[in-house]
This record gives sequence, C-alpha cells and structure tokens, in this order.
Amino acid sequence: MNLVFELPQKIRDEIELTGGESIYYAVPIDIGAGGNWSTDSFCVVTTDKLYTFIDGEKISHEINELTKATAEAGVGGGMLVVKKGGEDVLVAHYSSAHMSRYAYIARGINILISGRYEKVESPEYEKMCPHCGRVIPGTKTCPHCSGNGGFFKILGKTIRPYKKDLAWISFLMVMVAVTTLLNPEVQKRLINDVLEKNGSLRTALVFLILMFTLSVAIVLINIGKSIATAKLGSKLSADLRRDLFEKCQRLPLSFINERRPGELLNRITDDTRFVAEFTSDVFCNLFAVFFIFIWDVFYMLVLDWKLALLTFTVVPPVTFFMLYLRKTISRVFRVQNKKNDDVASDLQDVISGMRIVKSYGKEEQEAERFKVLSGQFADIQKRNERFWGMFDFVLSFCMGLGVVIVVYFGGSEVIAEKMSYGELYQFIAYTLLLFQYVGWLGRLPRELSKLKSSLERIYDVLSQEAPEEDPGKVRDINIKGEITFDHATFGYKSYQPVIEDINAVIKPGEMIGIVGASGAGKSTLINLLMRLYETDDGSILVDGVDMKDISRKSYHSQLGVVLQETFLFSGTIIDNIRFSKPDASVDEIIHAAKLANAHTFISKLPDGYNTYVGEKGHTLSGGERQRIAIARAILTDPKILILDEATASLDTESEFMIQKALDRLTSNKTTFAIAHRLSTLKNADRIMVIDDHKIAEIGTHAELLAKKGIYYSLCAAQNLS
Amino acid sequence: MAEDTLNIYEKKAAEMTATNMITREDTFAKTKGGFLSLDCKGTHYDRVRVSRLFPFSDADRYLSIREYGNGDKEIGIIEDLASMSEESQKLIREQLELYYFTPVISRIMSIKDEYGYAYFHVMTDKGECRFAINMGASAVAKLSDTRLIIQDVDENRFEIKDVDQLTKKERRMLDLFL
Ligand SMILES: Nc1ncnc2c1ncn2[C@@H]1O[C@H](COP(=O)(O)OP(=O)(O)OP(=O)(O)O)[C@@H](O)[C@H]1O
Ligand SMILES: [Mg+2]
Repeated sequence: MNLVFELPQKIRDEIELTGGESIYYAVPIDIGAGGNWSTDSFCVVTTDKLYTFIDGEKISHEINELTKATAEAGVGGGMLVVKKGGEDVLVAHYSSAHMSRYAYIARGINILISGRYEKVESPEYEKMCPHCGRVIPGTKTCPHCSGNGGFFKILGKTIRPYKKDLAWISFLMVMVAVTTLLNPEVQKRLINDVLEKNGSLRTALVFLILMFTLSVAIVLINIGKSIATAKLGSKLSADLRRDLFEKCQRLPLSFINERRPGELLNRITDDTRFVAEFTSDVFCNLFAVFFIFIWDVFYMLVLDWKLALLTFTVVPPVTFFMLYLRKTISRVFRVQNKKNDDVASDLQDVISGMRIVKSYGKEEQEAERFKVLSGQFADIQKRNERFWGMFDFVLSFCMGLGVVIVVYFGGSEVIAEKMSYGELYQFIAYTLLLFQYVGWLGRLPRELSKLKSSLERIYDVLSQEAPEEDPGKVRDINIKGEITFDHATFGYKSYQPVIEDINAVIKPGEMIGIVGASGAGKSTLINLLMRLYETDDGSILVDGVDMKDISRKSYHSQLGVVLQETFLFSGTIIDNIRFSKPDASVDEIIHAAKLANAHTFISKLPDGYNTYVGEKGHTLSGGERQRIAIARAILTDPKILILDEATASLDTESEFMIQKALDRLTSNKTTFAIAHRLSTLKNADRIMVIDDHKIAEIGTHAELLAKKGIYYSLCAAQNLS
Repeated sequence: MAEDTLNIYEKKAAEMTATNMITREDTFAKTKGGFLSLDCKGTHYDRVRVSRLFPFSDADRYLSIREYGNGDKEIGIIEDLASMSEESQKLIREQLELYYFTPVISRIMSIKDEYGYAYFHVMTDKGECRFAINMGASAVAKLSDTRLIIQDVDENRFEIKDVDQLTKKERRMLDLFL
C-alpha cells in the first residue's frame, strides 16, 4: 500500500526541509474542512514535522512536541489524532478508503516520536488501481493494467484446454446450418419441378427421399451436437468447480471472512452451473445461428431482393417489440423471484426459530406476517401468469404479421409471374427462419453479459493470490513445544488491532490458562497459534523457529484443537474422530474417545460409533459434541494442544473426568486452555490474562492472587480463592 | 475473601444497569484539539465521544455520550438532540459528522459494471464522487422499501434516502442491485 504519494508542486513548495530532514510519508486527505470530499488535501510527515494541507490551508506540528499518534476508526471513515501538550488534537479526517493507510502513518509517527528513524512500510495491496481506477481483486497488480484481464482473454483462457471438443462442435454446427438451409431449397425444387410442371413420379421420389434424408440428418446432427456440447459444458464446469474449490482452500481465511458464506458457495455451484448451461444452450447454437442467419439473408436477397428488403423493414420493429416484451417479462419475474426468496427466508426464519416463537407464544403474530408475505407473492404470481399466457400469442401474432406481408407482396409477384410458387414457398420458409433467429440473437447480449459476470466472479476467486509455501524456505520440525510470542500484533482489519504487542515465552509441556473478558481476543490469539491468520507485526516462534518457516503440513500434524464452536461434519462419529488422522486404527479411536469421556455415551447410542451426526444427523447435545471434538483433537497425540472453551458445555462431573484424563495426557504437551470457568484452569502452570488487547497479567495462580489485579477479582467474583 | 471485592461488583452491576440522561443542564464545550468536553453532574470529562444508538432509524435521538478511554464507559444518553441548547446542538452535530461519514446520494450520473464490480459516479451532499462496489458481496442493504445503504469496496457507506425520488433513468441503472 502506497504511503508516499506524489505531491502537487504547490504543496511541495510550501514544505521547507531543513538540513537532514526528509519526507517520510505523504498521503491524501479525502475529507476537507467542511466535511466535503476533497481532492487536493494532503497529510505529510517529515522526519521533523507533521503537516496538513487541507483545502489550501497549511497546519504544521513539530514531531517532538507530540507524545502519541492514533488513527481512530469511526463509521465510514476515521481520523488521525495526535496528543500535543496533553490534549488530543484532530489532524485529519478521512474516509474508509484511507483507513488502513493512516493506521500505518500513525505507527510511523509514533516511531519518529520515540526518536527512531525506521520507515514503516505496508505489505497490504491497494484496493483500487491508481492508473485505471478499477478495483484490484486482491492481487498485487491490477489485472487490467497488467494485461491479464478482459472478457475475451478470460474466455480464451477458459476454453483453451478444450480445443478438440470445440473443433468437433464447430464442425457439427456448420453441418446443422448447411442442412437447415438446404431443406427449403429442396422443397422449392419439389414444388417447381414436380408439382407445378407435372414432373415424373421418379423425380418426386428422389426429392422426397432427399427431404427425408435431410430431415433425418438434421435430427442426427443436432443430437450429436447436443451430446457434444452437454459433455463439454459439464466438463468445463466440473473443472472450474474443482479449481475454485482448491483455490478457496488455499486462500487465507481473511478472504473467506470478507465475503458472505453463501456467496462463495454460489460461485462454486451457481456460476459454474451457468457456464455449463451457457455452453450447452447458447454456445452450441452460436455459430450455427450466425451462419444460418447470414446465408438466410443472402438467399432471400438472391431470390427477390425487393421483397427481401421489404421483409427486412418489418423485422426490426417486430424484433424490438419482442425484445421489449421479453425485458418486461424478465423484470416482472425478477420481482417474483425476489418475493419468493422473501417468503422462503421468512419461512426458514420462523421454522428454525420455532422454539423461540413458541416459547413467547407468538405463533399467531408470525402466521399473520407470513400470510401477508405469501399473499403478496400470490398476487404477483397471478399477474405474471396472466402476462405470460398472453406473451406467446402476441409473439406468434407478430411473426404471423411478417409472414402476411411476405405472402401478400410475394403472392402478387407470383400472380404477375415474376416469381415461382416454389420460390415463394422457399422465401416464406426463410422468413420464418429469420424471425426465429433474430429473436434468438436478441437474447444473446443478455446471455453473454450473464456469462461475462459469471466468468468474472469465478476469475475473481481464481485470480486471487494464495500465499504459497516456498518448499526451499520452510522445513519440517519435530516440535518440542516451546512457544515464544515476540511483539505479536494482529487485527482482523489492519487499522483495528485485536491483540497488540504480545510477549511471552511458554516452556515445553507447560499448560497455560487464558482468561479475559468476552471479546478480549483470546480466540484470536489461538487463531494465530493455529496459523489461521498471520501476525501483522512481530512473530510467533516455535522452538525458536519462526512459525512462518515451518511447513504447514508438519506443523498442523502436531497440533490438536478443540474450538469454541464445535463443528462436526455430516458423517458418522467415527469419521469425525478420524478426521484428524485418517489412518488411525479402531483401537486408537476408542482410546481417544475414552480419554475424552465420550466412549460411554457413544456406546449407548443405538448405532454406536456409526451414528450419523452433523447437520441432518442424530442430534447430539452440546457437551456430547464437545467430547467428540476432544477425541478428535487428542487422537493425533499432538505436541501442542489448544482448548478453546473445550469443556464449557459439560457438566462439572464430566469436566472433572476429562480433566483427569487430560492431565495424564497433557503432561508432555504444551497446552493452551481458554476458560471462563476458572475452576477449569486449576491445573494450569501459568495463567495469562488478556485485557485491553494485551497480556495484562501472567503468572501462576498464587502469584496472580498475590498481585490483587484482574485475576484476583475474577476469582473473587467466582468465589474461589 | 474480600467483602470489598464483592461490593465492587455490586457497584459495577448498579453502574451497568443505570441509565443517566443528559439534559440542558450539562454543558458541552469544544476543546482546542477539535473535540468535545463535557461537564456533567459535577464531573469534568476532557474528551467525550458521541455515538448514535439508532443510526438508521433515529439519527438525532438517543445519542450515547461516552468517555474516551477508560473502557469507553457511557456517561449518559441524550434522548433528543433538539432538546439541547443551540450551542450544544451545533457542537454535537459537528462531532457526529466526524464519527459518521455517510454521504447521501442525490443524483446518479452513471453506473458501469465490469468484471464483477460496479462503478458509480454520483453526486452526494458531500460533493461529486466515484466509487466501486463488489457485485458479489451484499453491498446494497435495504433499510426499507425505498431507503438504501450502499457499501463500497473501501467500506465507505453511501445512502440513498428515497429511491422513488430518483428519476426513472437513475432507477433503471440501480435496478441491477435491487
Ligand atoms: N473473523 C473476525 N473478523 C472480524 N472481527 C472478528 C473476527 N473474529 C473476532 N472478531 C473480533 O475480535 C475481537 C476478539 O474476538 P475473540 O473471538 O478473540 O474474543 P474472545 O476473547 O475469544 O471472546 P469469547 O470469550 O467471547 O470467546 C472481538 O471484538 C470480535 O468481534
Ligand atoms: Mg472465544
């Protein structure tokens, strides 16, 4: 992220640098004095001074008069605030676009205040391309400016691997076009040469056989083409789906966090399905239709150019009318779909919240609300159906009108003997084809734009840069279990640190209890330990090695976790336990289940370890799920064990039993246990209290009690001493 | 142990549940640094923060006045901004402008969609501006049938107060997102 913008000459002139002073940071201020957008305001930090130029007004502060700089986040924007003479001073007001930038600037100013001269650099990527103004989809460079973007390039990239299929389909399309166009020609001959001129039965038979063969050929070629395109479509979408899925797994969690959960799902399922549909419904006809269309027009002109031109003048208004109707229809149906979604989600809401609805006795109220919604939906549907019913009639009427004109004028020509019967027949056949394909072509732009956005959404994911492990840099290690937090700082958003400057050394085999208020950042800290996120600043070392230099595979295989939200996959209990170690023997699994105090309840289930759990499966209680998760965590005999409220849903007796079991188990493992119930942490070697983004206290139970700090009052509140 | 610690919790609980109303009696003043200070029931607060409890449905009522730092504790609530003195109203509004930046769109010049993003060129009450939204994410939120909040890729928020007030052409451009 750029922290040194090019300054306009006018502003540069106003900054007088003294000897040795240099400009460190220069970033735009996009909200001016009156709270309006501003384009020529800047905040400039030199080694000695902090300047702002807001709507032409210059203000400066000496860095050595300041004691602290903060980038405060508001709603939709933020402000840079410095402490000067004990008082907070507002320096700059900016929109969210610069929020992250100012977080780094504040960090930079604080470094200067402390008398050091390091320059802060931001590893984040820009969100908008400074050259073309387009959004950069999470990549380092703008795909448009670096020449990787563009619809046709993407399309080309997508279909390149399927050249053979494409060639075969193109050949079939040409064949379809040829046979379709040949048919009216043969029919004309039949009428002119046989019917009109009383030709022989033999020639009639020849024509009939020809027509029959053509018809059969059309059917056969079309079937072949449909099969080929359907195959291509499903192959294409399957490949895209696979790529998307693999990409999603490799992308950092923050990417998935930034999007609605349903959205990624849609990209993987709906967008790829649309690509398949497009291939089999639209693409397969694309060349054929163009080909037929051009020859159709050509033949009509050759047959009778005057009549052809006349027909062509009818085509545009009719086509426009048809397109207009279609557009209206798609709009009304969109409204209907939207309402349908509303009804469905309302229903889902009520059904999944049934217990709440019933316990508050609000059934009638909910029923009433639902009735209104469903009534609205019914009204819209009724109207749409009526509209839809009329649509086909209107459409055929329009096409009929075109044909009437052709028949009238063509008929006069035939009567005037300027045109043969056969030619008229052929002409009408071509006119009908024309209408058919013009309608189809009119739909094309919409289908294309839908394809475009589907492909774009797919490539938005595919073009994200997944952090790749450099096999030359990372290594496998056998973890002993010493963990060092070295100035570790992290926030889900760079301008809002959740944990700040965490420093601690955890000895191998130590059990650390983590306590702190809800939302203090306990789970966040262990998210870092699990390497779900990377530290923004500072580092975490395992046995003295920076975590980033250990291969993920080797690290994760020595890690056991039980998370706050127990997640079980749809599958059997044994599948769920085995997830952490697919090659575990049944004995190992039963042993792990026993340690987790889960064996007893599992063996009582009618289906035992084969009980189906997960979304639609056997409903287990919260504590039962937790015990399965614990079994899953300890199955691998991990070197580092992480328990985030792992026993919170258990009764005290089971918790006690599991603790006893875990005691034996955790003796040689570095364990991090988060708990609100302090009794859970009785066995912890040390307690870490997280408060206000930092480690507020760390030490043994006795040490912290003696300190009479936060832990002391927590114990008092829970009546422990 | 420690009766006194239990007493602390009693006090904390009482503090947590009490609601203190801030009225004309309490005086706000602007600090040299551009923020707001408050004298309330004999206590002086160097800097306070104003936050809206109902930013969408009732932007000028139920304003929570909070301490700055010290756990951002709530000092009190202003039930209706209009009931405060002219001077206080002006100062508080100024702070709200600082903490809530939501330009209101008055005119849509163009909307172009490309590569999964839509590019807006609009006129707002804060001046002309251009922004981009992610079409895949839930960038457009409906507060009511006619009121919209649009969040751009930078997480800036834009508001459309009443879709019906837009021209037909503007509405058609927006159609894609409704
Ligand atoms: N994925 C996320 N994206 C953005 N913010 C998050 C995310 N997860 C947590 N937060 C925020 O980070 C802060 C710390 O959350 P965290 O889950 O670490 O708290 P905690 O200490 O584990 O709380 P609890 O005891 O309730 O589990 C909270 O303010 C939370 O809202
Ligand atoms: Mg947590």
